[in-house]
Amino acid sequence: MKSKQNSKIWLYAVMILITVLTVGPFLITLFMAMKSGSEGIYTSLLPKDPTLVNFVTAFEKANFGLYFMNTAIITAIAIPLNLLFCSLAAYPLARMDFKGRSVVLALIISTMMVPFQLYMAPLFQLAGELGLRNTHIGLVVMQVSTAFGIFLMRQAYLRIPKELEESAYLDGANRFKVWYLVVLPLVKPTLVTLAIFTFMGTWGDYLWPLLNSTESSMYTLSIGLAQLSQNFDGSNLKLISAASILTTIPTLLIFIWLQKYFISGATDGAVKG
Amino acid sequence: MNREPVVLPNVKTKITTTKKKKKFSMKFLTPWLFLLPAIVILATFLVYPILEAFKWSFLDYKIIAGTGEYVGLANFKEMFADKYFWVALINTLTFLVIVLPLNVFLPMILAVLVNQRIRGAGTFRVLYYLPVITPMVVAALMWKMLYSQSGIISEFLVKLGVFDGPTNLLVQSSTALTAVAAITVWKGLGYYMIIYLAGLQSIPKDVYESASIDGASVWKQFTKITIPMLTPSITLVSVMTIIAGMKVFEEIALTTGGGPSGATTTLVMYIYNKFMSLDVSIASAAGIVLLILAIAASLLQMKLTSKREDDLRV
Repeated sequence: MKSKQNSKIWLYAVMILITVLTVGPFLITLFMAMKSGSEGIYTSLLPKDPTLVNFVTAFEKANFGLYFMNTAIITAIAIPLNLLFCSLAAYPLARMDFKGRSVVLALIISTMMVPFQLYMAPLFQLAGELGLRNTHIGLVVMQVSTAFGIFLMRQAYLRIPKELEESAYLDGANRFKVWYLVVLPLVKPTLVTLAIFTFMGTWGDYLWPLLNSTESSMYTLSIGLAQLSQNFDGSNLKLISAASILTTIPTLLIFIWLQKYFISGATDGAVKG
Repeated sequence: MNREPVVLPNVKTKITTTKKKKKFSMKFLTPWLFLLPAIVILATFLVYPILEAFKWSFLDYKIIAGTGEYVGLANFKEMFADKYFWVALINTLTFLVIVLPLNVFLPMILAVLVNQRIRGAGTFRVLYYLPVITPMVVAALMWKMLYSQSGIISEFLVKLGVFDGPTNLLVQSSTALTAVAAITVWKGLGYYMIIYLAGLQSIPKDVYESASIDGASVWKQFTKITIPMLTPSITLVSVMTIIAGMKVFEEIALTTGGGPSGATTTLVMYIYNKFMSLDVSIASAAGIVLLILAIAASLLQMKLTSKREDDLRV
């Protein structure tokens, strides 16, 4: 009995130690963000005179209010469009027999292997030609319809028994109605998972916004943060910390809200990779 | 509206011939109407740029002018002659060699820990997942602060006696790549933990029960039951790590920028640098090398996971 209790204490000790590693960086950043003007950054862990002034400065002087809006706008564009287009496109790929289906499916899946870095230069040029440079739509073209989303939705449709749709056809419903009224409500959990993937992909995206936004009025949080960090010294670190915390808070809130979908999403995504 | 489908007896309804003709053309069109929006977007912003990249790799492409002459394999020759390309390729492989074992074993240990039936296991699961949801830019900057010369990691290593004086691991050629790899591992811990957790929960409990009746120690149970039973998860995590590891960008761009003196310039950083200096043809050629590596890894994964997908289809 005693050894069992001992091993439990060890277990907790190890788990808390790991927590220090995973959560510690956030706390250190938070403490740093709360240090007041004259305080040395690395002299102590806890702020001597805690203040929120760095958050206010980030929002007002460093333009993070604007970057926040830009990021929110592109995320708000990306999520509904990606859900709509992927759930539409995946339906015939899972449920209809038509010529060219396997070719389309194979093409879509194979594009998932292509690293973004291969085609970022042509995409950059195309965005310029189409007048998408420094526009919200331009920032989010890669997220409004994704091969991964189509794949994920197709997997979800495949799990639905065929009988459910067949009876609706007999009732006289057309394909679109069956998709919208019968099938879509059944894959709601997958839609939430895809919404989360789209949110994460858009909110934290860095490379494409970096290329496509040449004007600071179009910066997203990631780009604003990266720009701020180009001056990575004592004078700026408190501000960088505050901006980092601000950037993370929305993802944190959404995580707390939709926790179980994050967890199931990880394994859904893993099947595809 | 009642959205619950009504199950009717399985009777085939007869369709009149005039209707049949109309139905036929609709039947042909319907799938494509569903596919249209996604296909238009993917074709424009994904397939077209990919094809362009292939084309550019055979041209001496000037991105500002928007034209280029056909040069055959000259870009590839130039790239293979570039010593920095090989440095980048070796750095990419080294990065994978560092990340792979850590990604395979650390999340496994985490999964075994949070899979214990103890109070608070769920809370720990959430706390371990926190880095996964952090935007990569934030993660990179947080770690850059932690790594700084007067930061906590340097202080700790001096106390341990690893270094004589304050040292920033990111600015030492010998440690920079490992330091960046640590960020990648930290960020992925929770994600791979969940994959292992799914694997662990598929192991029948009675296997452990009979093992502990036979007097097998916890360590023996871990090595003789858990690890062998987790083989599918291990292969999955390995391949995912390889694919993700080849594409690592933010961690490097925002902490070391590829330095010091090329020590963290991976293939992706090489492509990025070539793009930034407007050598888009060389960038495209290097992109094709990256693609070939990614395809090889993806095919491996498909082979390994195809069984799982078949299971889903049944």
